[in-house]
Amino acid sequence: MNLLEVEGVGFAYGRKPPVISDIGFPPLAGGQLLGLLGPNAAGKSTLMRCIADGRADTGTIRLLGQELAAMPRDERTRLVGYMPQTPPQPSSLTAYELVRSAAELTGMALGRGEIDALLHSLGLAVEAFRPLSALSGGKRQLVGLALALLRRPRLLLLDEPTSALDLYWRNIVLAQVRRHLAEAAAGAIVAFHDLDLAARYCDRLVLLDHGRVVAGGSPAEVLTPGNLARVYNVEAEILSGADGRIIVNTLRPLVAHPTHGESRC
Amino acid sequence: MSDATLASQFARISRRRTAILMAGLAALLLSVTLDLMAGPADLGLADIARGLVDPAGMEPRFRVILWSVRLPDALIALGVGAALGLAGIEIQTVLNNPLASPYTLGIASAATFGAALTIVLAPAIPWLPAAAALPAMALAFALGAGGVVLLVTAALGGVRETVVLFGIAMLFLCEAATALLMYLANAEAVQQIVFWTIGSLTKAGWVELALVSLVFALVFPFSLRNVWALTLLRGGEEHARAIGVDVARLRRHAILRVSVLTAFAVCFVGSIGFVGLLGPHIARLVIGEDHRFLVPASALGGALLLSVASWLSKSLLPGVIIPVGILTAMAGVPFFVLLIMLGRRAGR
Repeated sequence: MNLLEVEGVGFAYGRKPPVISDIGFPPLAGGQLLGLLGPNAAGKSTLMRCIADGRADTGTIRLLGQELAAMPRDERTRLVGYMPQTPPQPSSLTAYELVRSAAELTGMALGRGEIDALLHSLGLAVEAFRPLSALSGGKRQLVGLALALLRRPRLLLLDEPTSALDLYWRNIVLAQVRRHLAEAAAGAIVAFHDLDLAARYCDRLVLLDHGRVVAGGSPAEVLTPGNLARVYNVEAEILSGADGRIIVNTLRPLVAHPTHGESRC
Repeated sequence: MSDATLASQFARISRRRTAILMAGLAALLLSVTLDLMAGPADLGLADIARGLVDPAGMEPRFRVILWSVRLPDALIALGVGAALGLAGIEIQTVLNNPLASPYTLGIASAATFGAALTIVLAPAIPWLPAAAALPAMALAFALGAGGVVLLVTAALGGVRETVVLFGIAMLFLCEAATALLMYLANAEAVQQIVFWTIGSLTKAGWVELALVSLVFALVFPFSLRNVWALTLLRGGEEHARAIGVDVARLRRHAILRVSVLTAFAVCFVGSIGFVGLLGPHIARLVIGEDHRFLVPASALGGALLLSVASWLSKSLLPGVIIPVGILTAMAGVPFFVLLIMLGRRAGR
């Protein structure tokens, strides 16, 4: 059975023009990591929210063969681990208290050291009892990831999970996500701005622009100079690393690109 | 660090917080005792203890002072303080705003308008029993304002900013309406309205105490049922929603609780400022953000603040009872600044 099917999804905020239209991609299977790429305001976060909430104006989203919109909230939030783009807000709450409250609310069986293990694996053990306001943006981002991973969900939705992390933790986090996918037969959709990272860790990529799918497929099929020029307005060359993985070398911005203007940012 | 270390550290912190709550209860007991002893009639600790255990054995004049004046005043301070403290922490958390207080939603201003309306209209309606009508109208208007805020919140999807803006609009509307009444009223009515707006515990008796206590006892368990969701909400609305918290529903229910608590707290004693703001802040500073402890600690903090204020109101000037609302307002500002400085030093 397919893990996730997304077909013809469209969504608009209120009466404004649709932010995403007719979004779809081949079904996601267990163990697969799908990278969502695109410039700012391409619709990545909106698509993530639509899937997390099981709510779209048009199209269908099915998880394990069941319509997400018809799924009870408890079941949906148990199966889907969603990490929003914004990390947990600074406050005098501690990382442990936040993760513990999530565990208690979702009725997780505690006492076997799951929270301890999770916080240790994300390098948060030392800061576990410090106020969130005393943690760096990167550390708070890791706390957000801990919340998404806590219930070992079948589908992970991570909205730019590595944007505030250093090189070391970017790789640790994505390796951990891959490990989770293998262990739990789960799938993941991860939004990226770092194309090299996406090429390295994703099985498939979907490139969005102006709320529509521009390209989809393997990293080699999606990360082409033509696609990057069209969507990101940059001239780039695609290199191949020693282990065969793709490296994107951005040469220069193409300033005259008509789709890039002030309104995008 | 072993796997069990964080869990056991959390258990240790929880035990320490329980001990802080117990210490708070002891401080409250001490404060009530001091409050009962304060006043012109020379009642010592032994007299108070004897009078509480065996009222019949007490000299009648002292029995009246203890059972009809001091005890209801001291206990209403606890009830009103606890209600405002509880309402304060709920509203601060669900609006994600440390400056929010039970009065942010305009409920106290609506109560004041209801009271002012009664004061102005009472002489024109001879059959209206003013003593009972005043708190009843204050309560009705306060609950009405809470209901309107709740309806608007529900209609607009429970968005946080909308609640705050609408609450502030309600506050200004009620204040403007009260000002209009005062402009039109005669001097005696204006004096009565001003006196009502200065919160004073002496307006309440046993019946009022019973009502405030009953409302607190009914609402408190519902607040406690939501402590994990409230804790999670401190991490941010999107994260709470991602875990499965129906944030809009949580906010609506909290606003309902805050409305009822505030309405009953202010309708008998008038507006008592800063207690609903300071109680939660002191509790947060001492006990942290885990709402399993913060919710009861805020109620405790509010009760303690108002109890101490009640004691001071009778002790500062011999023979004079300063309305407790004046004391909390005067002491509240510097105290609040101090708390902000302490919070900044603690990195909160």
